[in-house]
Amino acid sequence: MIGGLFCYNHKGEVLISRVYRDDIGRNAVDAFRVNVIHARGQVRSPVTNIARTSYFHIKRSNLWLAAVTKQNVNATMVFEFLLKVVEVMQNYFGKISEENVKNNFVLIYELLDEIVDFGYPQNTDTGVLKTFITQQGVKSVTKEEQAAITSQVTGQIGWRREGIKYRRNELFLDVMEYVNLLMSPQGQVLSAHVAGKILMKSYLSGMPECKFGINDKIAMDSKGKPAEESKTKSAIAIDDCQFHQCVKLSKFESEHAISFIPPDGENELMRYRTTKDISLPFRVIPLVREVGRAKLEVKVVVKSNFKPSLLAQKIEIRIPTPLNTSGVQLICMKGKAKYKASENAIVWKIKRMGGMKESQISAEIELLTTDTKKKWTRPPISMNFEVPFAPSGFKVRYLKVFEPKLNYSDHDVIKWVRYIGRSGLYETRC
Amino acid sequence: MPAVRGDGMRGLAVFISDIRNCKSKEAEIKRINKELANIRSKFKGDKTLDGYQKKKYVCKLLFIFLLGHDIDFGQIEAVNLLSSNKYTEKQIGYLFISVLISGNSELIQLIVQSIKNDLASRNPVHVSLALQCIANIGSKDMAEAFGQEIPKLLVSGDTLDVVKQSAALCLLRLFRTDPSVIPSGEWTSRIVHLLNDQHMGVVTAAASLIDALVKKNPEEYKGCISLAVSRLSRIVTSSYTDFQDYTYYFVPAPWLSVKLLRLLQNYPPPEDPGVRGRLSECLETILNKAQEPPKSKKIQHSNAKNAVLFEAISLIIHNDSEPNLLVRACNQLGQFLSHRETNLRYLALESMCILATSEFSHEAVKKHQETVINALKTERDVSVRQRAVDLLYAMCDKSNAEEIVLEMLAYLETADYSIREEMVLKVAILAEKYATDYKWYVDVILNLIRLAGDYVSEEVWYRVIQIVINRDDVQGYAAKTVFEALQAQACHENMVKVGGYILGEFGNLIAGDARSSPAVQLQLLHSKFHLCSSMTRALLLSTYVKFVNLFPEIKSHVEEIFVADSNLRSADAELQQRASEYLALSKLTSLDVLATVLEEMPPFPEKESSGLLNLLKKKRPGRVIENPDRLDEHVKKEPRETNGTSGLTLASNTEQEGGSADLLGLGVPSAGNGNGPTTNGAGAVTNNIQKFYCKNNGVLYENDIIQIGVKTECRSNLARLALFYGNKTNHPFMNFQPNVSASPALSLAILLQVKQVDSTVEAGAQFQQMVNVECVNDFDEQPDLNLVYNYNGAPQTVNIKLPISINKFIEPTEMNGEAFFSRWKNLSLPAQESQKIFKAAHPMEATDSTKAKLIGYGFQLLENIDPNPDNYVCAGIIHTRSLQIGCLLRLEPNKQAQMYRLTTRSSVEAVSQHITSVLCETLNLPFNNQVE
Repeated sequence: MIGGLFCYNHKGEVLISRVYRDDIGRNAVDAFRVNVIHARGQVRSPVTNIARTSYFHIKRSNLWLAAVTKQNVNATMVFEFLLKVVEVMQNYFGKISEENVKNNFVLIYELLDEIVDFGYPQNTDTGVLKTFITQQGVKSVTKEEQAAITSQVTGQIGWRREGIKYRRNELFLDVMEYVNLLMSPQGQVLSAHVAGKILMKSYLSGMPECKFGINDKIAMDSKGKPAEESKTKSAIAIDDCQFHQCVKLSKFESEHAISFIPPDGENELMRYRTTKDISLPFRVIPLVREVGRAKLEVKVVVKSNFKPSLLAQKIEIRIPTPLNTSGVQLICMKGKAKYKASENAIVWKIKRMGGMKESQISAEIELLTTDTKKKWTRPPISMNFEVPFAPSGFKVRYLKVFEPKLNYSDHDVIKWVRYIGRSGLYETRC
Repeated sequence: MPAVRGDGMRGLAVFISDIRNCKSKEAEIKRINKELANIRSKFKGDKTLDGYQKKKYVCKLLFIFLLGHDIDFGQIEAVNLLSSNKYTEKQIGYLFISVLISGNSELIQLIVQSIKNDLASRNPVHVSLALQCIANIGSKDMAEAFGQEIPKLLVSGDTLDVVKQSAALCLLRLFRTDPSVIPSGEWTSRIVHLLNDQHMGVVTAAASLIDALVKKNPEEYKGCISLAVSRLSRIVTSSYTDFQDYTYYFVPAPWLSVKLLRLLQNYPPPEDPGVRGRLSECLETILNKAQEPPKSKKIQHSNAKNAVLFEAISLIIHNDSEPNLLVRACNQLGQFLSHRETNLRYLALESMCILATSEFSHEAVKKHQETVINALKTERDVSVRQRAVDLLYAMCDKSNAEEIVLEMLAYLETADYSIREEMVLKVAILAEKYATDYKWYVDVILNLIRLAGDYVSEEVWYRVIQIVINRDDVQGYAAKTVFEALQAQACHENMVKVGGYILGEFGNLIAGDARSSPAVQLQLLHSKFHLCSSMTRALLLSTYVKFVNLFPEIKSHVEEIFVADSNLRSADAELQQRASEYLALSKLTSLDVLATVLEEMPPFPEKESSGLLNLLKKKRPGRVIENPDRLDEHVKKEPRETNGTSGLTLASNTEQEGGSADLLGLGVPSAGNGNGPTTNGAGAVTNNIQKFYCKNNGVLYENDIIQIGVKTECRSNLARLALFYGNKTNHPFMNFQPNVSASPALSLAILLQVKQVDSTVEAGAQFQQMVNVECVNDFDEQPDLNLVYNYNGAPQTVNIKLPISINKFIEPTEMNGEAFFSRWKNLSLPAQESQKIFKAAHPMEATDSTKAKLIGYGFQLLENIDPNPDNYVCAGIIHTRSLQIGCLLRLEPNKQAQMYRLTTRSSVEAVSQHITSVLCETLNLPFNNQVE
């Protein structure tokens, strides 16, 4: 039961204020601004309690989005909803910024009216919302169309309308993974996990029923041929996963089969997380030597650790420098490196790098002697990259499409699968 | 753009505007990081920077610091700037240093050297900058480094006036951090003579300095009186054109005048008749000037003029010797009472409160009664109304008491909630103090309860009951009045309490009237019964049982009430007990017994309502204007014999309720220190040195006259005791001499350093004396405090011990089991160990209290070390100047035998024995006295 939803710009001015319940007064807007946005110390908790009222906030590019309630609500639900709101807005008008919010006031209020009713979140699926909240002029809707919208929104399959037709039936799957790592200077993995999601773009006619197979250990074990396949290591252990509402969960529970009627257009089908047997695409080996009080020598080696045939892109290594740095000399074998004083770091960028290669940078950092006794805390070296495979070992085994009513079969559908591995928080201590 | 390099600092301006244009905090931090890196590389760079650049970067650093970021470099550059000859560079250097240098910086030597150079400089601007910097830093180091030079600068003949001015203020700042900087002896007169300086600025600065010095050492600076007076008279009698620069909106040197008047308030009126005459003349002139028409309509003019005037009036009040002036001041204030300006009205009321306490001006103040009462009614500002209440309270005496009390009562109905409680207390006090007719008093208090029942504290209605009981002549009247008051539809619970009590005692006096027959009384009281809290109900039950005695004819009604389920089976244990006991009493006992048990209350011991006064003081600490005691034993209360009859009295009943035992104890000085009956004089009431083994703060000694509190702070081998002497009486103590001494043996072991104190302790005052103790060797005695003073002409002595024992120097030491037992074994010589077995005086299950005692004694309690979890294991180190004595302790309870075995081991035999014997006794003390 969300009492209201507010949106502020970075100065704390209210851009959007939508109150859903009477228990939220007018001063609730100000209370959040005074106690959180303008708070003297930075407020780090996403949930703030002010005068028996709870505020749940997220920040997106200088905008504050806060849900407020007086009841004891499920906080996770509220945050999930806030993220959905952001997603819906992004789908409607692109990047979320003060400018964009101001330009789309009417649209946003229209959306907020539709996705929440008396504090209870409703349908937040963009595809469906777009059928009746449009950015163009409204054509006068016929009675039948109106009825169709109503029955669709309230019907069993709210995320797909009937009567979609495509000349080419196509299906795109993106397996997108974010690798998170914390490694000790000696190369020991302190923590590592992969957060993955499967993005689906479907252009299919009718109401197709899809079946999706992945190399999940449990699913494959339950198929009755556990011995060889799980030993070949092609199966992975998924720690937890969640699905788009279109997936029939009862079937997943009983048969471990992922079957669904896909929404039209782009959607996130599944999210998952793994922690075991992660193949780390890069290894960072730092060497830091303090030469007296006024100098620091840093050498960082980066090794790529995947098939030589693959090519990693957009590699960026960020080496923090001490706060009293007065000058930096850099030599790197590959790519470009620069000392960015405003971020207190050396940023080394490499455009492309093949598998099983290594590269090195060495830096001489001059220090200014200061009167503080505080030692430099040596923040970890962080890295960004993009690789064309799934570091968790995730594989799409099959994807079948059945459409009993229309005359196309699984073979006629053109399917595309792409794997992308990106860095999340990929850090090595030095 | 300014073309001249050196003034513009374009880089700085650009940087600041960049920061201001930042959209977000992150952007701002990025910009600052970039700038810091730039400055670092500039400072690091090999090519030397010129003064302008250094100044610019130091300025940027300052700006970044002011934005709230830490700056940890640039100090050297700032110090370099100090040696520049350019004013702007030097100034920025000093600014940076006074803002950013921390006291223990290594650079402080360099800085001190630079400042020294500047102090010796010929250029007065440089000297002033240096002085400003010293004052801004104002640390102990600075005081030490420049304590010598600044006074020289101050009195030297060839120092410029502006510099002198700075020097005086700088010296004042240093004096506040370290009072020892001011040299004494010949310097005194030279400093005092600054008041005669030609330059008004110097005099103003010096007046501040001298004021501070005088507060510290009035005797030494006595010479300043006559100088100040003559300076003041020169200012006051001059016309405003004489002080060109120091005339502020046609008022000549108002700040200096105020300072001089304040300075004079540190001393009693001058003794020399010449000086005295001149001072009176000045004050008169100031009062005269107040009557003159204003020279300007500007608010600044009247502010400055009034500031001087009010300070002059304060001085007149302080001197309290010239009736003529006092009366004139009073009249002047009277004019302000109806002034347009709220602040003036406030100040006037406040000053008048003090004037009212002076015998000379009391009558004059009384003339303004009408205005003040009017102010109370019409004033908009609540703080001003509060002052008006204060003033009414202060000006009240026998002649106008009735009127004032009436007015205050009338006002109470509409009074602001924040001042109601205080007003109630004041009305109660005034009514009692000036009551010629106790009927009036009873009326007033009952009115009070009716009007502001919620704000009437317990003490107020206790007091009215005490007075009614002690005075035969009002009992009947009181009974009749409360009976009438109770007939109101809704009456306050406090009213029910008073009514219940009084009818229970004296209901028989009005029972003759048919309208207030016993049955009616009972019915009236019982109609309120169900609306009251359980405390009041309990009181009413006692009233009912008294009715049984007074009016046997309604006995059956009363018993019915007792039998009622809501009483006999009440959930409240107290009510249930009373109901059943009273029921039994009325049913079983004979009339004789009943009459004895339920006899009328014996009179209370006669006391002033000091309880109320104390309450008032507690509410407004520090600023209670006394209602002067200038009259007249208008009512000699004839004491009646007060031997308590053994009987069931209401008071003893109340005692059962635990918290409210104060009905009797009203006059007894605040209970709670476990005091028994006292004899007037030196009879020790609280003098329990034992308790202080385990605690550091508390009341060391207390009797009717004096209270001695102590607060101990210990660090390694040093301890500091603050002794608080409180005068509980209405008379000052004369020749007050506390004398701390140690026996010859003890004086070898500890060094005592005692601060001297005044020989007079004002009535009701409290002051503290510091005693510093250094532990040289271990010891087992305690130093003596021998206190001699005269109270009311009679000499008094108090001899007690000071709570300093060896355990105050124990530092708790944490160690693990291994370390403890290896040390324990190392101290196994028989001489190092001391053991005692003793019987437990308290349940051994109370481990918390035992632990608290051991920790309070000073040890570290080591848990989970001993194999037997019941045992207590402790460790500590005693710090003395010569050596440190490790101390280990084990306390082993034997639950079957209810015995403890206490073993102490330390490297010094005497210490083990002392600790063992003390702890044995301490552990057997009742706990609740131990730790507060």
